[in-house]
Amino acid sequence: MAPPVQNTPAEQQDGEQYESGLHVILPGDLLPPTQSQDSEDVVMAPVIKLGPGLQPMSDESIVAVKAGILQSTASANRWWVQSNQKRYVPSSGESVIGIVRGKTAEHYKLDIGAAHPALLGVMAFEGATKRNRPNHEASILGDLLYCRVALANKDMDPELECFNPTTGKADGYGGLEGGHVFKVSLGLARRLLDPKTLVLRLLGQHIPFETAVGINGRVWINSASASHTILVCNAIKNSEYLSPKECESMVKSLIQKM
Amino acid sequence: MASTSISVSAAESPAFSFSASTFQKLHPVEFFRKFISQGVRPDGRLLEGFRPTTVHKNVVSTANGSAMVRIGGTTVICGVKAEVAEPKMDSPNQGYLVPNVELSPMCSSSFRPGPPSEQAQAVSEAINRVLKESKVLDLTDLCIEEGKAVWALWADVSCVSYDGNIYDAALLSVMTALSDVRIRKPTYNEGIIKVSGAEILDDENSFTLNLARTPLSATFSLFDSSMALLADANAAEEAICQGEISVTLDEKGQICALSKVGAASSSQTLLRQCIATARTRTDELRSIIRSQ
Amino acid sequence: MARLDTTRTSAHQLRPFSSSQNLLNRADGSAQFDFGGSSVLCSVVGPAEVKLRDEKLNKATLEVIVRPLVGLPGVKDKACERAIRETLEPIVISALHPRTLVQIVVQTMKDNGSILSTALNAAIMALLDAGIPLNSIIGSVTCIIDSKTNEILLDPTTEEIARAKSTHVFVFDNKSSIPSSTSASMDVDISNDDDGSPRPLFSESTGLFTEEEYLECVNISFKACQAVHGFIRTAVSKKIEKEHQQTQA
Repeated sequence: MAPPVQNTPAEQQDGEQYESGLHVILPGDLLPPTQSQDSEDVVMAPVIKLGPGLQPMSDESIVAVKAGILQSTASANRWWVQSNQKRYVPSSGESVIGIVRGKTAEHYKLDIGAAHPALLGVMAFEGATKRNRPNHEASILGDLLYCRVALANKDMDPELECFNPTTGKADGYGGLEGGHVFKVSLGLARRLLDPKTLVLRLLGQHIPFETAVGINGRVWINSASASHTILVCNAIKNSEYLSPKECESMVKSLIQKM
Repeated sequence: MASTSISVSAAESPAFSFSASTFQKLHPVEFFRKFISQGVRPDGRLLEGFRPTTVHKNVVSTANGSAMVRIGGTTVICGVKAEVAEPKMDSPNQGYLVPNVELSPMCSSSFRPGPPSEQAQAVSEAINRVLKESKVLDLTDLCIEEGKAVWALWADVSCVSYDGNIYDAALLSVMTALSDVRIRKPTYNEGIIKVSGAEILDDENSFTLNLARTPLSATFSLFDSSMALLADANAAEEAICQGEISVTLDEKGQICALSKVGAASSSQTLLRQCIATARTRTDELRSIIRSQ
Repeated sequence: MARLDTTRTSAHQLRPFSSSQNLLNRADGSAQFDFGGSSVLCSVVGPAEVKLRDEKLNKATLEVIVRPLVGLPGVKDKACERAIRETLEPIVISALHPRTLVQIVVQTMKDNGSILSTALNAAIMALLDAGIPLNSIIGSVTCIIDSKTNEILLDPTTEEIARAKSTHVFVFDNKSSIPSSTSASMDVDISNDDDGSPRPLFSESTGLFTEEEYLECVNISFKACQAVHGFIRTAVSKKIEKEHQQTQA
């Protein structure tokens, strides 16, 4: 553990430093004013876009509400805090893996790991009409569905859909057959969505497998054999806190043991 | 007050107005804020005003000591019962003094029957700590025979009517009841304890408690982010206040307990102000007890 | 004046802190915080589904459960639950997650004094780990006034508390103590600057003491709390940096 207590030089006051290095921010920390005292004419872009983890205060200052790394885009003046947690809080447009927990005449009730059950309309599938009900009609309790969050509002239960609203096509959304689903932290899930993720790339070189990653921290893996699936699951779970080098040797040793 | 009507959004729709009581039901906090900004409270008190307080001693004839306290709409009765008990192994010459506060559904509809609520337990514990840590009573006074028998004093506080500020009322009733306690002198003889059966108790056949000090308290609620101090809040005010500062003082002006919970962080000026107001208030309470 | 706790040389010295986050697999957030021989493990679940009876339409319900070291929870633990809940309620931005439950379970692991402070520090670290939106972080320390020497001792052990004239628990948030350039050390220096008096968020004092003694305790504890804030910052930063290392490559 770490008994010696020292304040990290976390308050890096000038703007350039946290563009390059890691700027860890904690709840209560104020976002430094964007050089507003330097010159009056560069008064910052008219709009600052705040992402997750930042809240405007009544006195127009901006304060962090989560612990994480302060991120920003240099051009559009977007700011957010990149943080990691385990509990999913729905946000519209995100792809999630849900488990069917109940069904009424108009809705499926899905568990997506959030505080409230999510609703998936029986018509929210590709090409569904009142006459032509999709075959997911047959969905039974415990089935896995890969869906998109259509509506998320803190005061309402989230709503889901199983098609891409821009194309009207399924685009990969729908039921997940076979395979295995397991939970990871939301931060790891976000990283896995990047096709260049090290652990997925390394595993892909040795084992063919299918995967669906829900941003709600659920990862679905399917491969030719159960032993492959288990190996892939373990490798992904182990990879979270490893450096790229450690990750490589971890995957190598797992493959060798197989 | 009830007959006046308050326009909620006069600028946009002058026709849209409520009676004061409707406004209170719809926006209790906003309703309250309007009063506070004028320096008064809906019941007519000033912000630093305490409700009228009365204390009656010896109200329960079957108890060794008792008191009834009213602070505005809050009424509590405290009865102290002395029982002979076996002392603890690690303190063979010390008796027990156990306060317990009960908030039954009888005193307010917001309490449920069943095991004591968190609030009741927290108040009991707060009183227990004041009695113990400011050394109100030397527990060795309650010893009958070392290692064999001691007095256990059960100070049970029962709330009859709840209208906020239970801590002040309960502590006041416990301290008054303790000062009222009279216990028959026991004699110990080979495992048998005898107490005198005299009809009239006097200093010959009974004893009173030797209280080292009488801690009394004043509680203030903190309203809003403006941290307006409301002395002795009633139940409705407690419900919309976020925090509380409670100061307990003995007769010499020493602090016996001080707690500040909830709301935002409070400045030292505010704390000093609370301590100063609590001084005046507890002095006032002491004179009420004396006049009894 | 020597302390009863012989491992420390000065009255204002805190015991070494240590902490670890994310220890529990099934909770949404967890942390263990140690003040020397006192240790508390805390877990956080939430925002999760709430019982209909406890549901609040405009904010999250905060539930605190305190489990003692031995035996069943008693009156003391209930009072402790209330203190922790009422301290955290203004810190958690509960309006962002209406109709949900944030459950905090506090389990004492080792008890050698200052347990409420240890529990509060563990709770805030577990909330940070769970990613519950907070408007500031808090730090807590306990101090006592020794009955023999009348000296203020920070972070007392059980033995020292037994000899105390009065006991004081304080919580400060980091809004009033944004880390200054002067690094806070373990040995708290009280002769430092005095720009605006420290503002306690939570204060619980019992025993016998005067107003002056109380305000002195506030000031000394405030300096000590800055060390706790600094520690929490370092600990959380380390964890975040570790998580981040893979994405950097």
